[in-house]
Amino acid sequence: MPLYLQRQIEDLKKRILTLSAVVEESFHQAIHSLEEMDTSLAQAVIERDIEVNEMEVDLEEECLKILALHQPVAIDLRFIVSVLKINNDLERISDLSVNIAQRTRGLAALKPTPIPFALFAMAEKVESMLKKSLDSLVNLDIELAREVCHLDDEVDAIHKDNYGLVKDQIRRHPEQLDALIEYLSLSRHLERIADLTTNIAEDVLYMIDGEIIRHTY
Amino acid sequence: MRLRFIWQILPAFFFLILLTLLLLTWLFARNLSNFYLEETAAGLEARARLAAFQITDSFALEHSDRLDELSIRLGKETGTRFTFVLPSGAVLADSLEAPERMENHALRPEIASALTGTIGKATRYSNTVHKNMMYVAIPVQNQDQLLGVVRAALPVTTIDQTLGIVYQQIIVSGMVVMLIATLIGIYISRRISRPLEEMRRGAERFARGELTERLRVRGSEEIAALATAMNTTAYELDQRMRTVVRQHNEQEAVLASMVEGVLAVDTSERIIRINRAAAALIGVTPEEVKGRSIQEAIRKADLQRFVRRALSARDPVEGDIVLHGNEDLYLQAHGSLLRGESGQELGALIVLNDVTRLRRLENVRRDFVANVSHELKTPITAIKGFVETLQEGAIADPDNATQFLEIMMRQADRLNDIIDDLLILARIEQDSDQQELPLTTMSLTTVINAAVQACANLAAEKLVHIEHNCPPDLCIPINAPLLEQALINLLTNAIKYSPQQGKVLIEASHGDNKTIINVRDWGCGIDKIHLPRLFERFYRADKARSRKLGGTGLGLAIVKHIAQAHGGEVTVTSTPGEGSIFALQIPLKAESGNNHAAGTNSTPKNIPNQED
Repeated sequence: MPLYLQRQIEDLKKRILTLSAVVEESFHQAIHSLEEMDTSLAQAVIERDIEVNEMEVDLEEECLKILALHQPVAIDLRFIVSVLKINNDLERISDLSVNIAQRTRGLAALKPTPIPFALFAMAEKVESMLKKSLDSLVNLDIELAREVCHLDDEVDAIHKDNYGLVKDQIRRHPEQLDALIEYLSLSRHLERIADLTTNIAEDVLYMIDGEIIRHTY
Repeated sequence: MRLRFIWQILPAFFFLILLTLLLLTWLFARNLSNFYLEETAAGLEARARLAAFQITDSFALEHSDRLDELSIRLGKETGTRFTFVLPSGAVLADSLEAPERMENHALRPEIASALTGTIGKATRYSNTVHKNMMYVAIPVQNQDQLLGVVRAALPVTTIDQTLGIVYQQIIVSGMVVMLIATLIGIYISRRISRPLEEMRRGAERFARGELTERLRVRGSEEIAALATAMNTTAYELDQRMRTVVRQHNEQEAVLASMVEGVLAVDTSERIIRINRAAAALIGVTPEEVKGRSIQEAIRKADLQRFVRRALSARDPVEGDIVLHGNEDLYLQAHGSLLRGESGQELGALIVLNDVTRLRRLENVRRDFVANVSHELKTPITAIKGFVETLQEGAIADPDNATQFLEIMMRQADRLNDIIDDLLILARIEQDSDQQELPLTTMSLTTVINAAVQACANLAAEKLVHIEHNCPPDLCIPINAPLLEQALINLLTNAIKYSPQQGKVLIEASHGDNKTIINVRDWGCGIDKIHLPRLFERFYRADKARSRKLGGTGLGLAIVKHIAQAHGGEVTVTSTPGEGSIFALQIPLKAESGNNHAAGTNSTPKNIPNQED
């Protein structure tokens, strides 16, 4: 039976990694669609969410099945619990990517407006966080996971600054209000995604160390 | 536990020696004692006969004193015990014992048989002398009348003693023989096992892969034959291994030097092979991903999907894969199942073709056709429209008519500009294709000054200050009119996109084997996404704006072609909101007129050439 369990866990690992690849792609394309103002790409991102949702449900059922059938302990249990949570986080990231894609569609309909803050630099940072958190999941790399947890503070600070910058711009150019609000939402989506990547990193740390380090960073 | 060779032969040796010794000893001892006993018996018989001869006439009870004395004397002199017994069994005389103390001897076996007239012999323990004795009794007869029995006896302990000594000697010599046998055994086992040892070590070396080592052929015929056989085996193995390794290396080399990326996965989606091209495309190293599952090693959703598709399909599959990264890569993928010798599925083989460049060129061509029609069509439509308006009566209204004609003139000029630029481009291309571009070494300062002069009017309109900075002694091989055209194009752009009262900087400097001319402005800058396509014909970063500013959309394409005609290249770095720097690089050594291919291949931004 342990061999069978091992095989199922191996399969679980493959599934979560596949999901992570799809979500990473979604996020990348959402940002890309924003950069190029490519609404068809944005539409593709929005449609991909259905696939992600299906994968999420399948994965969760698989986890519950293994838990019920094998009642695993120690590292196996921690692994499955972490997969459950990371699964959730990934699905949320996919949702937020959809939100970003929707912002693209919204902005494409509006007059081009200069972005009052470095949106793409922030997106790049968040993307690197997502990449690092997923890398830490693949390689079970504690150092990388810790790095992600620390990077979150920077993104939080950027988001806070953006808030002020957008507010100033609205005061100066009230006619650009629609676009500016979209930009503010984008900043917020990115900040949320950064939070979720931190969650993933924390779950990876939990998986390896068995220590819950949430709320300590 | 396995016994050493020596322990296998020594017991056999010992057993053989022991068996031989025992058999020999037994035979020897039997023969010896038989011989001794027969000799003794014969001696005793003779003595008994001699004694009987002496006493035949006086063998009677009445002469017992004389007989007793005789028996004692004979006993002393011959060392033999004599006993004279009457036919009744009563002892008449004895050499060692007084006759009256001796019991009747008629039942003693030797005497009993002598009394019947034959010679009696017996060997037994004597209570009288407490020794093993041999008795020989002969009847004494006188004219067929039995007078009595003469018995001679000798202790036979001497034979036992003799045999004891013999036994001792045999034991001692047996031990010596065994010792020698042990030594011989050790020697023989060494002789046999040492080559075997050597052969074992040799075989172990072969097992470790040291197949070039050879065993020494020596020792007995069998061992030598074995060594030869093993050497042959090693040689054959070595040859085959070399063949296998060579074939493996060849395959490896073929795979590695393929331009296409090749990726092989097993049925559980683990990467079994990946060549360098594929690893480079995906952005990993072959070593770090080998043996890991594709989900773990390559986090590219498209590729993972394709691998799954290839594994589940029976027939070869084909598809497009986009790898997202800093720059998106477009791959054309072919996948087919890998089958083993007996047809079982081993996994899938994926071949990846990088079609990013092709894709980009396709885009460029499509856009070019669209753009050129659009650019040519716009002025023509305008001219046609105004001509129609004039025909329909507007010609009668002189004010409007003049204005219309002015517009028509402007549009015609514009059309002319575009066609001029296209002609320039065509000429440069033709010249550089035929390598006919004449280059003369001359001072760069003159060219820069001329270009600045040409742009002075435009600069003055916008109150832009042109700053130029060039070492006066800088002389390079150039085609002055073309380079001036390029610089004018760059300066015009810089001035157009500079704010009012802005500044434009043009400066030349030495680089490694090349001269770099930088044209810098502090204008609105260009978005990152436009940079790779900026030098395409008719490519416009901001469509509305650049046309308003006037310009054919060919300026930068001309600059690029001029740079290439000089064997150099043009690059751009720009930050939105902070301005742009266009860098024209011209090699110091003119490499056979132009260096079309080299110049474009080293272009860092993958700027498409030829087709643009």
